[in-house]
Amino acid sequence: MADKIYDVVVIGSGAGGGTLAAQLAQGGADVLVLEGGPKIDTRTDFNTHGLPFQFPTRSIPVMKPGKQGMDSERSRGVGGKTLLWNAVALRMSQRDFKGRQHDGAGEDWPIDYQDIAPYYDRIEREVGVCGNLDHLEDLPDGIFLPPVPMKCTDEMIRAGGAKIGVKVIHVRKSTLSRASRTRPACHFCGNCMAGCDVVAKYNSADVQMYPAIRAGKPLTIRPNSIVYELAVEKDSPKISEVRYLDRETKEQGTARGRVAGVACACAQSVALLLMSKWPRFPTGLANSSGELGRNFVPHITCGIAAFLEDRIGAPPVNDEGFLDHAYIPSFMHDRKRDYPRSFGYQFNYQNHRAVGWARSMKGMGKSFKESVKAHYPAYITFTGYMELVPNRDSYIDLDESVKDRYGLPSARRHWKLADDDWKRFHAVQDWGRQILTSSKSQILSVSETPTTNHEIGGCRMGVDPKRSVLNAYCQSHDVPNLYVVDASVFPSASEKNPTHTIMALASRTADNIAERLKKGEV
Amino acid sequence: MASYSTDRRGALKIISAIGATCAYPHASDELYGQTVEHQHENAPPAPAPLKPAYFNEADFLVVSRIADLIIPATDTPGAVGAGVPIYIDTVIAKNKNQQTLAAEGLQWLAEKGFSDLSEEGQLAVLQPLCEACDAGELKSRPVQFFQMMKNLTADGYYTSQVGLMKELGYTGNTAMAEFPTCVHEH
Repeated sequence: MADKIYDVVVIGSGAGGGTLAAQLAQGGADVLVLEGGPKIDTRTDFNTHGLPFQFPTRSIPVMKPGKQGMDSERSRGVGGKTLLWNAVALRMSQRDFKGRQHDGAGEDWPIDYQDIAPYYDRIEREVGVCGNLDHLEDLPDGIFLPPVPMKCTDEMIRAGGAKIGVKVIHVRKSTLSRASRTRPACHFCGNCMAGCDVVAKYNSADVQMYPAIRAGKPLTIRPNSIVYELAVEKDSPKISEVRYLDRETKEQGTARGRVAGVACACAQSVALLLMSKWPRFPTGLANSSGELGRNFVPHITCGIAAFLEDRIGAPPVNDEGFLDHAYIPSFMHDRKRDYPRSFGYQFNYQNHRAVGWARSMKGMGKSFKESVKAHYPAYITFTGYMELVPNRDSYIDLDESVKDRYGLPSARRHWKLADDDWKRFHAVQDWGRQILTSSKSQILSVSETPTTNHEIGGCRMGVDPKRSVLNAYCQSHDVPNLYVVDASVFPSASEKNPTHTIMALASRTADNIAERLKKGEV
Repeated sequence: MASYSTDRRGALKIISAIGATCAYPHASDELYGQTVEHQHENAPPAPAPLKPAYFNEADFLVVSRIADLIIPATDTPGAVGAGVPIYIDTVIAKNKNQQTLAAEGLQWLAEKGFSDLSEEGQLAVLQPLCEACDAGELKSRPVQFFQMMKNLTADGYYTSQVGLMKELGYTGNTAMAEFPTCVHEH
């Protein structure tokens, strides 16, 4: 393998890597994908239809017996996290790309909405995204399949939100609401985040990479290859070799390509560059700016649990659907507030096969049992997702004291809310309470502790090579044949789920790489 | 980039174009029916061990009794009928802190002659612990023991086949051709 020089070596096979690899191969480039985890068949390998009582400890293992995958951060499986994601697909808006221009905080992207819009279009046509056309300034519409009807409980929150001027819309997801030529429509079995056994939900392996391979395009996937280092040439800052360990044998291997695309899911991409230290790059590859690892801006979430009063004591219905069917987009941009940026809410995405809240109902005996039964159809989860503005206390580094079974240091996340972020977090709590109260809910709990989700930032794009790691095409300012395509490249997070933007950016980057390969620039 | 008219009439036109005329490659409704054929069997529960792995017979009886007082049989089976005591044993067998707390709690109950009390007597011992637990007064070890027992009983019962399917009436994990539109007034 070391002898062959591929056009592009892609490291990681999820939303970013899968999109990049498949699109380049469809265009004729010779592509090798190195994936840390094993090959996984989403149709047969996950416990998608498991129920808790089938397991003595009542916790449902991700993989079926004897099936490997998703076993560590560095070795998930072919398709990466798209195999288990919830598929929410939201376009970011011009305001999200130019947040600093609007409220003076954080950092602007080096691109505008109009630069990425054609790539959102392309991804939506390619993979299928369902949603409604809502004409919102802060959540641009796309090319959508018909939306899936809202649940009865969503309608209650829609009515409650409307009373206080908060709009509830249909969720937008990369899940088919109508069958395609090759994939069936969703059948609403209610467990999207435990795999999808019919590929109604997008995953990068079944929807992008395998079709390219079946069409005879030059795409090779090497699973079980844990990349630990990118080596640079002696007399130029270009990557000469990608070095990996075999996941099972730990044997070393190398791969060579004219271009390297790093797509290991944010923190792991940053870790890989930090681990690749060379005389020319003593603090990590492509880090002449010193910004590598900095500007980590994961989504900050606040979970609220509640019971909708109109559903207490009602007969249970099967409304697991494809988890959340509705969404509350950002609504604070036009309102008076004393903090920058905004937040949105995802809700009603719980399925009904676990009842973790039962233990918090009061009392014991018959009345306890009746109370749990009565509240079961009324329970909903409601989670605010807010943006974190970059600060110097939020960053990713390597923890050399914690090594995995390959001897590689772990990626360590540091994050902290600044005063403005706390104000925004308190607004997430307050508005959440208001919306739920207006929807006639009994609030069970409101999280007082911010938690993170959706890792974003650490390897940001930017115009200025002194203040950013990558340029507007996700290409390193320092290393001309290095590209990064995952959420680590986002200069700011917005409150929107990042995957759709990762894919659109990867598609735009693929175009740029293809053009440069054609011109012989790399 | 697609340019959409932002007025409402424009939106309705686009929706109907996608839905009705299959202008979009994914909207081939003739294939839609195939999802109906995708059936899921809700598999039976894993066979539970017959004997506790951690508790001795006497302690297991007390644990079972507490679980059944927390979730008693009504028109559906209670904690014992749902096999919850074996679940509790399985969990505690793997957790040293819980083992210590269980030993202390069982000792405390033994000193009160818990096993020999009538149901009313047993409830009179547990109810104050339950009330303290609900009030968040968790300083005393017996209250902590009760909280652990209630948590494990609730977790075990509502993840059991009896608790989830029979008591709560869970109906999911099935294939639907279409997701039903809500027809209620809200």
